[in-house]
Order: sequence, then C-alpha cells, then structure tokens
Amino acid sequence: MQPGGSTPGVTAPEPILVAHDIHRSYGARRALRSLSFTLRPGRVLGFLGPNGAGKTTAIRVLTTVLEPTSGRFEVDGVGSEHPDRIRRRIGVLPEGLGFPRHTSGADYLAYFGQLYGRSRSDARQVGRKLLDDVGLAARGDSLIETYSHGMRQRLGIARSLVNDPRVVFLDEPTLGLDPRGQAELLGLIQGIARDRSTGVVLSSHLLSEIENICDDVVIMNDGQIVARGTVAEVLQQEGGDAQDAHTVRVRVPVADVGRAGSIVEGLTGMTRRDTDPSGWLTIQIAVANGSSPLDADRNRLLDALIKADVPILGFEIAGARLQDVFLRLTAESIA
Amino acid sequence: MSAATSTMSGPTARSDRPVWWLVFRQELDDLWIGGKALNLLILFAVLMSITAYLLATNSELSLTPPRLMIVTTIQSAITFGLFIGLVIASECLSGERERATLEPLLLAPAGRRQIVLGKFLAALSPWPIAYAFCVPYVVTLAQGDIALWPALAWGALLGTLVTVAFTGIGMLVSIYSASSRTSLFIGLLVYIGALLPAQLPGEFQDSPAGALLQAIDPLEAARIFMMKGFVDVRPVEELWPLLYAPVIVTALVLGAIFVYAAPRLGLTPSGPRLGWGTRGSEVVG
Repeated sequence: MQPGGSTPGVTAPEPILVAHDIHRSYGARRALRSLSFTLRPGRVLGFLGPNGAGKTTAIRVLTTVLEPTSGRFEVDGVGSEHPDRIRRRIGVLPEGLGFPRHTSGADYLAYFGQLYGRSRSDARQVGRKLLDDVGLAARGDSLIETYSHGMRQRLGIARSLVNDPRVVFLDEPTLGLDPRGQAELLGLIQGIARDRSTGVVLSSHLLSEIENICDDVVIMNDGQIVARGTVAEVLQQEGGDAQDAHTVRVRVPVADVGRAGSIVEGLTGMTRRDTDPSGWLTIQIAVANGSSPLDADRNRLLDALIKADVPILGFEIAGARLQDVFLRLTAESIA
Repeated sequence: MSAATSTMSGPTARSDRPVWWLVFRQELDDLWIGGKALNLLILFAVLMSITAYLLATNSELSLTPPRLMIVTTIQSAITFGLFIGLVIASECLSGERERATLEPLLLAPAGRRQIVLGKFLAALSPWPIAYAFCVPYVVTLAQGDIALWPALAWGALLGTLVTVAFTGIGMLVSIYSASSRTSLFIGLLVYIGALLPAQLPGEFQDSPAGALLQAIDPLEAARIFMMKGFVDVRPVEELWPLLYAPVIVTALVLGAIFVYAAPRLGLTPSGPRLGWGTRGSEVVG
C-alpha cells in the first residue's frame, strides 16, 4: 500500500510498520493469508473486516503475541525475529482488556511504566501525564473497579502509551461505548497520531469511525486483504459499479419531503425511487443519455433543491461510502 | 480530553527494580489488598483452631501425649498452609487469562521467567504467615515438652520444601490451563492425591507399594519424618531417606517451571493443554 496524503514536493516519511506476506495457521486452518501493508508515522490505519476475518489474529501477530507461520514484519526498522525489541516500540490496547480491580489508575500506569524500563519516579510522573492526556487526571487515585467502561478504555490507551511507542495497536477500542464516549476516544486516537507522530492501527467494526478518522484502510475477509489504500483510494477503486453511481440519496427535513419529491420528479431524467421516514430520498438518475456527465446531473439535482429553498441535510452517492464497499467486499462471508 | 502528547523522558530511563520484583509487588497487592490471601488465612485459622481444640480436649482425657500433639499440629499447619499456596498458584496465570489481564503483561518487554518468578514468590507469601500463626497453638499444646522448638524448626524446613513443591505444581497447572476452574480442580486433585497415602489402610502402608507411595509423596514423607523423629524418637541418620522425596520433588518442580514451562508462557496454553475451554488464540476476529 502506498498511503496517500503526502504533499507534493515533500518526501513522505519512511514506513514505521511494514508487513511482508504474513501467514498464520492454526493446524489446517489458515487464519491469515499473505498480509502485506505499510504504515507511515502520524497516520491512522483502519483494520476492517467481519467477525472471523483475521483482524485480531493480525494484530496479535504484529504485536508479537503470536508467531507468524511464515512471513515477517518490521516495526521502526526492527524485524519480527526480535520480538523483545519490537515490544519496546509498540503500544497495544487488546480487545476486551481486563484490569486489576484493587489498583488505582495511577498505580496501574506506574507499574507498567516500570515494566517498560522506567525508574519508579519517572513512571509515576509519566503515568500522571498520561492520565491527564486521556482525561482521567481527576480519577487517577481511584480504584479501577470504580471506573466506567469508557474510563477503562481510556486508561487502556494511556497504558499503551507508557513506553512512548512508535506504533499503537487498538483492537476495537470503542466497543461498548456510548456515542459521546466513542467521539471522545476517537478524538484521542487522532491526537495520538497527530501529536506524537505515532502510527496507529485501529481495528473496528464501526465503519463510520474508520471513514472519519483513518488515513489508510485495510479491509480483510477470510484471513486475507481484499482492499487497501487510503480511504479515498479504496472508495475510488471499490466504490461500486456504474449502476450504483446513478443512484443518489438526499436527506431533507421530514416536513419538506413532499416538496422535495415533487421537485425531483419535475427534473428531466430523475426518478424518486424511495423515501424513508427520516427524510432520505433515493433518486435514480436515468442512464438513457450515456453522454450526460453524472456529476453535472447530481449538481443539477442539488441546484434545483437549493433554489427551491429545501434545506439539504445530507447527500450520498450509492456505493460510495465505506460501508457500501465493505458490504460488497465481504458479502460472501457475511451471508 | 486533551490530545495525547509525547511523555517519554528519554529511552535511557532505567527501571530501578527487576521485573520479577515488580510483578511480585503487584501480585502481593492483588493477593493481600484484594483479600484472597486473607480469606484463605482466615480459613486456615479456623481449621487450626478446630484441630487444636480437638487435640486439647483429647489431652485432657490423657489420650494424646504432648509430642503427638506438637507433631499433629505442625503437620496440620503444613497441610493447610501448602493448600493456600497451591490454590493461589493454580489460579494466578489461568485466572489472568480469563480476566484478560495477562496479555498486557506478555506485551511488556519482560522475561517470561521473571513474570512467573514474581507470581510464584507472591503465591508463597502466605506460607510463612500461616506457619507463624500455628506457633502459639503448638506452644500451648506442647505443655513445656523439650521437643517443641526442634519440631517447629524441622516443621518450618519441611513445610517450606513441600509448600514450594506444591505451589510449583499449582504454577505448572496454571501455565498450561485455559481456565481457572480447570486449574483449581486439577490443583485440588493433586492435593487430595498427596493426602491419600496417609488415609490408606495400615496393611497397605506397611506393604512395599505403600512404602513406595510414601517415599515419592513429599507430604507423606514429611509427615512420617516428623512422626518418627519426634514421636518415635528415631535417630536422624535413620530418617534422611525420608527427605529425598521433598527435596527431589521440589527440585524437579522448580526445574520444570523455570527451565521448561515459564519460557513457554503464552496468551493461550501451549504444549500439554489442560482443560476444555476454547482456544483463545484461535479466535480470529
């Protein structure tokens, strides 16, 4: 994968994580097949895939918890044949991480800071700083058993940063969080990549969060990569066939649905296919005139609605969302 | 929530404590502040009180001589005390697997042997306290018998040996076990197995098979050593062979843990697997 986002004329930094043709089998079952990708510092890479696609196995291999059956990887220039050295360069928030019940957040971070080689005073100082960074400064001395799920996730992220890692792996960090908790955590994750120049590998089921905060994306299915690149590249490469591109969705206030529908039906080559209760109108743009540029037709539709003072709350091209790509690429597995 | 900024004071920062010590301290906090060790010690105290009461009431009827009471009480302290170590060790790693707290520990650049050593020493920590707890009972029941202090000293030595051995067996079970229920169950079976020779009929105990069983069971060997040494007053030279089992089993168990099993400690049990749980690492997602 050649991650995009680089400014012309500016040399892209060297990849901080490079996976070469990694395979992992459990007996006869191949859980991971030919995993290859790169990640550059300061970027967030989204790992997407249905349950059983191999995301967690991939993360466990890349974090040295599991040995690859074949293939190798490098973190910050250190090869996978040196797992101890790699562990010093990575931070990990495993899925469903447990915490000791009778320890405070500050003591927990100080403990791991020392395990990563910090002196006691340095570990405590760094722990306090991280608690502040993740918004837990006020609760640092409280026992972890009194923390909410969201607070524990933030503490887990703080723990993954105690060694100032070059790459952070986050496996389903927002699982079980409410929308506010998800938004806060995603902001924190973006901050980690931006402010620390850390590479972040984010595994998630939530396609919207991957689409919103990830620079690059890897979509896995049945143990292998089925799409990879920047989010824009994946959407462009896998963003649906011509028929999908002729279908758009426009969201308007529920009170204006009738009026918007009439406007659409009054436009040449446009047909309202569907309306849902939340105000989304699905509109088919006719393909009879093959020479008509689609972009112009879409603009013509929006222009007509704007001129009629219909507020436009949302606009989507069918097949152009990450969710559409994901569902298409993993259709067989999900079915 | 502010953005996370770099916190590294420098890669040259060095921990002032070895990893095993850090794990040991953390595990001690968990055991003692968490209450597990304390609960087991309370159970120990209740059992010791019952034992002492039964011996004392028997003594009032002149049925039990003081030396037998000394040895029986020390033997009870060893039997219950090693049970605490066995239970704690059986659960320490399999329980962490279940609670999903093992993975971050394995992800730290910490040697597996050091992790296991720290946990092993923490699992042993209740033993000296339990043994110290039995001293007042033994002193009271001894009624001034001159065998009191030598018996307590030998009891401490033998008790430490067998507690190390059985705590080590618990650690081995835990390293290779996917669930704490499985490891605790196997630990309990080991414990019952170790107690079994003393419960067998007298004729069997006197047979060659019984003698062999007694010779290879460190707990039984320790019991016979104390009985023959302090109740039957046999010379120490005659009793040396009874020390072979506690010493050899302890050495074998420690070797098995730190030479073979500890370096193989993983997120899921590798090698000889115990238990019927799902294979965690095979969960692909």
